[in-house]
Order: sequence, then structure tokens, then C-alpha cells
Amino acid sequence: MSFEVDGLVRRFGTLTALDHLTFTVPAGQIVGFLGPNGAGKTTTMRAVFGLTELDAGMVHWRGEPISARHRRRFGYMPEERGLYPSMPLAEQVVYFGRLHGMSLADAQQATEVWLERLELADRADDKIESLSHGNQQRAQLAAALVHDPELLVLDEPLSGLDPGGIDAIIDVLRERAHAGSGVLLSSHQLDLVEDMCESVVIIDHGRLVASGTVDDLETSGARRLVVDVQGDRNAGWARQLPGVTVSEVSAEGARLVLDEAVDSQDVLTAAMAAGRVTRFDLVRRRLSEVFREATQR
Amino acid sequence: MNSSHIVPIVIIVAAVAFSAWRRRRRRGTDTPRRPVRSSARLHGVTWLVAESEFRQRVRGRAFRLATLFVLLAVAAAIAVPSLTKGSAKAQRVGVVGTLSAAERSGVTALARSVGTGVRLVPEADTAAASAALKKGSIDLAVVDGTSVLVHKTLANDDTSTTAQLARAVARTLGTARAINAAGLSQAQVADLAAAQPVPISAVQVSTKSAINKPAVTAGAILVFILLTQYLSWTLTGVMQEKANRVVEVLLATVRPLQLLTGKLLGIAAVVFGQAALVVAVAFGVGKGVGSDLIHGAGPELLGSQFLWLVLGYALYSWLYAAVGSMVERQDQVQSLALPLVIPLVFGYIIALTSAGSGSPSTLLKVLAYLPPTAPFAMPVLAAFKAVSWWQYLISIAIMLAAIAGAARLAAGIYRRAILRTGRRVHFRELFHSSS
Repeated sequence: MSFEVDGLVRRFGTLTALDHLTFTVPAGQIVGFLGPNGAGKTTTMRAVFGLTELDAGMVHWRGEPISARHRRRFGYMPEERGLYPSMPLAEQVVYFGRLHGMSLADAQQATEVWLERLELADRADDKIESLSHGNQQRAQLAAALVHDPELLVLDEPLSGLDPGGIDAIIDVLRERAHAGSGVLLSSHQLDLVEDMCESVVIIDHGRLVASGTVDDLETSGARRLVVDVQGDRNAGWARQLPGVTVSEVSAEGARLVLDEAVDSQDVLTAAMAAGRVTRFDLVRRRLSEVFREATQR
Repeated sequence: MNSSHIVPIVIIVAAVAFSAWRRRRRRGTDTPRRPVRSSARLHGVTWLVAESEFRQRVRGRAFRLATLFVLLAVAAAIAVPSLTKGSAKAQRVGVVGTLSAAERSGVTALARSVGTGVRLVPEADTAAASAALKKGSIDLAVVDGTSVLVHKTLANDDTSTTAQLARAVARTLGTARAINAAGLSQAQVADLAAAQPVPISAVQVSTKSAINKPAVTAGAILVFILLTQYLSWTLTGVMQEKANRVVEVLLATVRPLQLLTGKLLGIAAVVFGQAALVVAVAFGVGKGVGSDLIHGAGPELLGSQFLWLVLGYALYSWLYAAVGSMVERQDQVQSLALPLVIPLVFGYIIALTSAGSGSPSTLLKVLAYLPPTAPFAMPVLAAFKAVSWWQYLISIAIMLAAIAGAARLAAGIYRRAILRTGRRVHFRELFHSSS
């Protein structure tokens, strides 16, 4: 039971925003949707909800072409928040619930539950414009969750939040995924995506450039070492080695990327010749490195 | 056309509108090629949007205060003239010397004829009467039944109650003296008193109809104020939904036509409710004070202006909503809204000037059939009784057709423009194939 975009094409004049994009969001998973600015993430999400017309391709839900009936079972949180500023919070969440087909009583009950869960219960009667940015984000999430959606599509849901707000939203999303909903979320905060998502989809110029589970992506690609040599913070010893690239130097040590032909023992030997080696670890790629290498930025 | 035609006209309009709604419901969608969806769902969502819009509008304190102000203004405009008519402050007439019973009755009758009452105040002598006039404790004085004394010289164009009464009393007393001096018999004096004026005939029928100018003018002004208020709500409401991006969340689950129709219906409910309240208060107060408004052509005028207010909103609301979907800021509105404002203001001005002139101009007769100006022109033309019932119906039919056309055009613009954010949308972009 999954959500699939299949060969999406969208052009705006001479600009191709989506170029035969295809990927899947399985039920019960949180999928990170990544890409540089202008890659086509927002256009993809809008296409899911019929907010932009497609020149080609289809969106499928459980094997069927998506329709308005399916979309009512989805929750959407756009990048630029959309709430009525002067409508009270609870009334607005109820309204969105009813627009998704809930009865008044069900919508009211669900609103109560979600406001409680998102720590907004004491602000139920306050107008949206009187809430802080973080609380408005939570309110927007409540509006997306009130009708118990089977798929959540969230465009930058964590932007501008403090750590407390981020933790609260991540907890909710994990719960939803655990309950069987699919979650597709975009974010530029790759460290959070790394922690939260089981898999990611990376696009650039409207095209898929990488996808897979976070584990697979991070353990694939070139080998990486973190080496710390006392007295050589700049990793000058490593810069001389053929086939070895110093990608980052920090207090933890030098992060090295090895070409396929390079023997790690040779690197160890060179490090020991340079000084006392206090750290020599084979590590995974970070998601940010996966992203940079996939988008070649 | 009289009030007995208004009821069937309203029934016919309602029947036509209901029939059009049912036809549209059977078609079901905004684009004919799409499959028909569950009409319960289609219209359930539309009514939900309408209900939310209605609630948001009427709960605002500003709306309630404005409504109260309008109702009070209408009530005062009706009650005050009725209550003060014929109850102008009674004239205090000082009497120096004596007046016979007949002369006293005559003065009282004269006062009634100029729309006032009279209170006779005995004064000792002319000096006392003069002093009382200067002090303001009497308005005029009759001295020994032979002269009339006032505070200041009466100007030729002085039409105040005191001036009218003074002239009438002077004329009457002078006539009475002349009759006495002529030595006529009682029967001859009675014949003189009972004399009727000779008839006045006209060579040509007047083109001026006896309309209630204040009521027609006030009605046109009120319709203009309410209509511009409602249209402003429509435009800014759509614009704000676009500017604060809530429309993107809404359109993820609601179709553009449902959202737009619901919004306009919600505001229309406010229009209808507020206008009905104004009419109800006008009737209630009018009945309470015995105003002319509830007699004769008054109910017909109220009904006509109510009907055309609703029709005017139905036409312009679609177009204003379309403009709202193309902009995000108030400064972007003017150039787009100007073509809509011009016919509105033009129709209003022509209607006002025609009502004030007392006769319907040729231009008014033409404007009464043009949808953008008919909301103002037709009620005034009907008030002049210068339109037959079938002509009235033709104007309504033209208006309904224009409303349908405006709705179709506006829905297309709205669907294409509402999600284009960041700048004003130009017309040429709307129908470009790759946009």
C-alpha cells in the first residue's frame, strides 16, 4: 500500500521543473524529500494535490491513479503556511477536518485530541495571528492531521522551529508512521532528516539523482576515514597522499575520502609517520555528503 | 407597474434562479469534460465554505456596529420626518385687545393650514407685545384685530411657519374688515366663506411623476453603500486568502469552483440578511410612525431596491472575486478594479440625478437594461412607473444571463490565477498554454 509518482513532467515555458520524476513512499515510512533550492520539490508536492497541472506522468495511490477522493485522505502542509489569521485555532482545525469529510462531532473530537497532543489546548480559542511562529507551525500540522490522513505531505515542516518544537513534531510524525501512514517531508536540515527518515529521495533539476534507505546511501560510495594525528590539525600529511581527499578537518580529526585503489593500511602508515595517531575510524557517509555528491554541489 | 406585479416577478426570478441551480447541479462540475462527482459532496463542501465565510463576516465587531449604525440611520430617516410633520412647535400668538370667537377660530384654522398649532397669549398692550416679541416669548401678535406685529421685517422669501401664519392672519383679518365695511348680510358673508376656487386645467400632461424623491434617493444611496461594502469584502477576502496562502491548503482538498462559489454564497447570505433586516426595520418603523413609506408605492420601491441589490451583488461579486484572485496587495488592485467601478458609479450618479430631477431621462431608461447599471437605474425607473411589468422582467432576464456569463468567466480566471503567487497576474498569462 504505497504512494507513487511515475514519470512526472512539468514545464513552465522553457524551464523544465519536473523531468520524468519517479519515486515511491511506502506506507508506514517517513521519507525525506531532498534537493537544492529550485530542484522541484514544491512543484512535486503541489502536483500530488492537483495544485499544478502536469505535462506528463501520473501519481498513484495504492495502484490507482490519484483522484480528489484519494486526496481527501491526505494531509498537506505547504512551505508557506496557510491559515486564516483571524480565525480561532480550534475552529479552523475543525473546519479543515470537515472539508476532508469529517462530521462536525468527529472533527471537534479529533481537534481536541490533536491540540492536546501538540500542546496547543490552552490556545484553542486564540486567533492564529496571536500565536508564535512555532505554535503556528503546530497549528498547521494539526490541520493536516485532524482527519487521520493515510499520507502526509509536508514541505519544510521544521523550518524556523526551536529544538522543543522540532522534537514535538518529529515525535508526532514517528507516531503517524508507526500507525501506518506514509510521510513525505522535505527539509534542508539534513541532520534531522538523517535521524528521522528511513529513506530519502534526492532530486535535482526535476530529476531523481539518488534514492534509497538512509543506511544504504550512507554505507555506499567511497570509503571514509576519520584520522586524528596529534600536532597536525590541518592534516597536511594526508594531502600528499595520492587518491586521498581531505573533505573536512575538525576537532575530531580529518575526514578523508579514499579512492577505490587506495589501501587504508597505507593511510595508517602515513598517519603514524606524521605523529601520534589518536583516532583512525572507518565511518559512513553523512547524509549531507550523500546530498552533495548526488547533486554535485 | 405597481406593487401587485412585484410579487409574481420575485417568484419568477426565484424560480428561474432555482432552475438554473438545479441544471448546474445535474451537470455537477466546473469543466464539462470531467466526470460528475457526488453532488452531495460537491454541494456539501460549497455550503461548508459558505457557512464558514458567513460566520467570519458576521462575528466581527466592526460588522455588527456598522449594521447597527445603518439600521439606526434608516429608522431615524423614516421616523423623524413622520414624527415632526404636522407637529411643528405651536405658534404663540400674542393678542392685544380682544378677538371675537370667530376670529379666534379663524386664527386656529389658519395655523392648522400652515401645519402648526397655535396658543393665544393675552398681552396688556402693544408695548407689552413688542417686549414679548423681542424676548421671544411670543412669535407674533394681533393688535386689536387690525394689525399683525412680528419681531423682524418679513423677507419676501421667508417661508418659515411664523411668516406664513403672520401673512395668512393679516390677509384674513384684512378680508374680514373689508367684508364688515361692505355691510354684507349674514348669508352673503356665509357665501363668501364657502366660495370654492375655480378649476385649473392643463394644456399638456406633465412628464414629472409624483415619486417619493427622498425615499428613492435614500434607497439608491443605501444600495450603493451596501453594494460597495459587499464587493470590497469579496475582493479583499479572495486577495487575502491568496496572500496568506491558505488557499493552497484549501485547494488541496476543495475544488476551485467550490471554494469560490462557497465564498460568494457566504457573503451573499450576509447581503441578503443585512438588506432584509434594513427592509424589515424600514417597514416596522414606517408602520409604527405611520410613514408614507408603507403606503402607496413605498413597499414596491423597497422590494425593487432589495431585489436589485441582490442581483447587483450576484453580478459584480464574480468579477470582483476574479480581480481578487489576480492580486496579493491592495496597491495592485486599482488598475484591475477600475473598469468595474466606473459603471457602478455611473449608474449610481444617473439614478440619483434622475430621482432628483423628478422625471426619467432617456439615459436612465437605457441604463435600466444594461446589467452593470441596472441595479441603480431600474429601481428608479420603476419608481417613476415608467416601465411595464414585462419590461421589468426583460431587464431581470438580461441580468441573469449576464450573471451566468460573469460566473463562467470569473471561475476560469480564478482557477488559473489563484495559485500564481508572488506578483500580480496579467490577463495574457492566464490563458497561455504552458502557464
